Amino acid sequence: EVQAAALAEHGEDITPARDRGVLKIIKRPGSEDESPMIGDKVYVHYKGKLANGKKFDSSRDRNEPFVFSLGKGQVIKAWDIGVATMKKGEICYLLCKPEYAYGSAGSAPKIPSNATLFFEASEDLFEDGGIIRRIKRKGEGYSNPNEGATVEIRLEGFCGSTRFDCRDVKFVVGEGEDHDIPIGIDKALEKMQRGEHCILYLGPRYGFGEGGKPKYGIQPNAELVYEVTLKSFEKAKESWEMDTKEKLEQAAIVKEKGTMYFKEGKYLQAVIQYGKIVSWLEMEYGLSEKESKASDSFLLAAFLNLAMCYLKLREYTKAVECCDKALGLDQDNEKGLYRRGEARLLMNEFELAKCDFQKVLEVNPQNKAAKSQISVCQKKTKEHNERDRRIYANMFTKFAERDAK
Amino acid sequence: MPEEPSQTIMAVDELQAIIQRCQILEEADFKGEDFNLFQVAGQKCLEDGYAAQLLEVIQNEKNKVIVKNMGWNLISPLVRCIFTYKQQDDKREHCLKILDQLAQLCNPKELLLGLLEQIEQTSGEQVCQTVLLLLQPLQTVLLKLQHKKAYSVGLSLAVIMNQLTPLPVPYTKEQIQEDKLGLCQCCHAVVHFAKPFVNEVVKNMEKSSEYNDVELKEELLKFCMKSLEYPLLTAQLEQLEGIEEHPFRRFATEIIDILWDIRELVPLVFLHRKGKSPDWENREFVDIERKNSADSLACLSYLVFVQHFGIDHFPVIFGPSYLLQCNMTHIEVLLKRTEESVLSKGLDLFESCLLRMEDDSLLHQYLEFRDFINVPQDLVKVMTLCPMEHLRKKSLSILQLFIDKFDAEGKYTLFRCLLKTSNHAGVEGYIIKNIKDQIHLSLTKVCDSIWFTGHHLISLLDLVLLLPEGAETDLLQNSDRIMASLNLLRYLVIKDCESDNRTGVWAALAKIEQNFLKPLHVGLNMSKAHYEAEIKNTKENRREAHSSNTVCSVTVSGEKMPAMTTEMQLQVLHSALFTFDLIESVLARVEELIEVKIKAGMDDNS
Repeated sequence: EVQAAALAEHGEDITPARDRGVLKIIKRPGSEDESPMIGDKVYVHYKGKLANGKKFDSSRDRNEPFVFSLGKGQVIKAWDIGVATMKKGEICYLLCKPEYAYGSAGSAPKIPSNATLFFEASEDLFEDGGIIRRIKRKGEGYSNPNEGATVEIRLEGFCGSTRFDCRDVKFVVGEGEDHDIPIGIDKALEKMQRGEHCILYLGPRYGFGEGGKPKYGIQPNAELVYEVTLKSFEKAKESWEMDTKEKLEQAAIVKEKGTMYFKEGKYLQAVIQYGKIVSWLEMEYGLSEKESKASDSFLLAAFLNLAMCYLKLREYTKAVECCDKALGLDQDNEKGLYRRGEARLLMNEFELAKCDFQKVLEVNPQNKAAKSQISVCQKKTKEHNERDRRIYANMFTKFAERDAK
Repeated sequence: MPEEPSQTIMAVDELQAIIQRCQILEEADFKGEDFNLFQVAGQKCLEDGYAAQLLEVIQNEKNKVIVKNMGWNLISPLVRCIFTYKQQDDKREHCLKILDQLAQLCNPKELLLGLLEQIEQTSGEQVCQTVLLLLQPLQTVLLKLQHKKAYSVGLSLAVIMNQLTPLPVPYTKEQIQEDKLGLCQCCHAVVHFAKPFVNEVVKNMEKSSEYNDVELKEELLKFCMKSLEYPLLTAQLEQLEGIEEHPFRRFATEIIDILWDIRELVPLVFLHRKGKSPDWENREFVDIERKNSADSLACLSYLVFVQHFGIDHFPVIFGPSYLLQCNMTHIEVLLKRTEESVLSKGLDLFESCLLRMEDDSLLHQYLEFRDFINVPQDLVKVMTLCPMEHLRKKSLSILQLFIDKFDAEGKYTLFRCLLKTSNHAGVEGYIIKNIKDQIHLSLTKVCDSIWFTGHHLISLLDLVLLLPEGAETDLLQNSDRIMASLNLLRYLVIKDCESDNRTGVWAALAKIEQNFLKPLHVGLNMSKAHYEAEIKNTKENRREAHSSNTVCSVTVSGEKMPAMTTEMQLQVLHSALFTFDLIESVLARVEELIEVKIKAGMDDNS
């Protein structure tokens, strides 16, 4: 093929290792100067051919551009390298050796082993994609801080054009709140690498949320931008690295933390803490009787508290799941039944909610709240039935009218 | 068949009577009583064999209004009759024509309910027969509903699938060819039934999308998701020799075609790439959906990546590590099941993803994903607990494949994890052998891995070169593991010179002796003594009279196992002793080698 031959002869070697693994020729230069950054969402139209000229793929056949996050290993290496060099609006040719494509394994059924691939690609646009992270300087190594890791960072926080925070700080991932650091930073850190310098755009949910931060003069539901450098970190132990004794000790500590966050209304942080108890103890086996009792008691408290948090976060399905698990440990648990009833009521499952509240009364006949909730259920059921009746009545009338014509 | 004249008059005439009465009434004046009489009369006609007459009545233009309102009540007796008559019978033909007429003439909403009720009432062998019979009239009725049909189409498909779900899925070649309950035939017919609705969605997507069309697409999507769960998840989907057109392979292709046509195929397979949900209410729904559809999505991935159905529609750009990452959740879902049909799909999916990767290419950071740690543990469960030998073997080979794909740190971390969590001496022994192989590669390669030499290795060896319960460890139970550990130690002692000490084993020798070699000696002595005493006792007991006071008995499948004869007992005890001797000989060899090397070192230094 003419194009492939031209690439082999005149193409520019864009590999970092300079091994001619990916060669590029620009067919039409881009309209703007900017290239996408690692983490950006990129939209590309392309056509792919094998060495024998046979087309194996084309985004035009699907009538939509291919979308992916750049530099994350979602695509073959040649693409992560190649697309990063493309400017918005550019069209180019890429010739990719198998080491930068599918190697000796190939990709059944279309790509044979050791295949050199040829692409014609055009970059339509790229955009920022929740917590949005744009990497200014890539970090080193491949490991990231996990939840519970201790990190040392430098951060600068901006709201609009005002800088409201600038410091070096050391803290535990998931507990940034203790240092007036929004949860978005905690979440982002889990994806960062040592030495990385990046910009984080935080939507209000991952910033200071509804409460704002009067201390820094931040209004409720403000969007924030942080520049963060992850200087160093020390990972926390994975669950399977800890023995039962350690887990039970940590569970007590973590439960306190969770309760503290909950009282302050920091539900996302509280969920992280209680979640640790679950991930450590839920599948733990080989416990002595004493350990088993302690473990069950922690798990019960964790599930009940998680249910409360999820109710506050309006994630009702998760709340129900947690109540189910709590009731699995203690089937007549008043709080578990009540909270499940609340969640179901908010999901419009009135009959089920009513059952739960009725059970609460069986366990504790003095529970006034449950009584009033039952009448709420009944009222809502009635409202819904009325509404259905009106809809169906209309339906049949309409049909009758139509058929009569 | 002798027809009693009085009955002829009664059945048909009764029908004529009610017809005549209703002909003069206004539609709005039809009373409940009239409906009843019509149904009873019609039913009697059918049961007495006067289908032809009934057909005439229904075809009569003058009776159009009556049939429109009352016809749907005849569905039940009609279907019963169709099944009682033989294929060639004229009466059956008449009944089929009546069914067709009703579909054309009756109020669609009411007839729809009548047809669905009929389907819901069947069970067992009748289900597929009934569904196959009623699909055509059902389709006719639904098409008459025009723009309001989405809900009804969804309802119909749901009712049909609900009735099919309890039926066993034919699995072997013979079962598929026989198709005793008609399931294979039925599946194909249902897809054909759904075709016009799919076409409608496609056509409307090309124009603008009205609210209603989103609903119809959603209903078709629900149907596809259901089909992926049943029957496809449990069906046998490999090519079978001697079967030209495999009904379930064909069904799978058809479902995937529908998903592609309604533009849901690629989004479903890469669900987590759909992008973050913008608002909170949506998140709830997405979570519920994701949970209920775990099985369906896993099956879909299997169809695409293992059987390559629909793979032409997918971009061929994804990196193989990414494909593995996307599929891990599905593999986990499938591996947690115990049915052979489902479990083997999980293994095949895992294998196909791994085969796309080069060795040593999978970055260890992937192990930070929960499912990358859970799945190998699930694999270990299959290897050790699954009753089917071919699946046990396969999962072992896949575990090795998984290990091979990781980079050095990944292998290291995985070995640590599996040593801590597998709780099975055979698996542990296998991992230890893998560790030995990695050390070997490190020592012989030009570039040496920091993970299998020096202090990282020593930390790993702490997990390997020990007896889990010290001297009291059950040596028989753990013999696989102990042998593997001894072989590893022997290898290290031979390959690594004390002066080099690349693996760090020489520096750690004292610790190894204390935690492993010494307790092993003690354990061996204790065990041998114990078993020798047992043998002596057994021999002595044999000389005495046979007493049948067994302390406990074993029952397997309802049959009590015969007590072991003394010969058998002795055999077992002797083979235990043999194992101990084996361990002891390797242990002796290792200690010998250590001594030799230390002495050589000392001689060198002097």
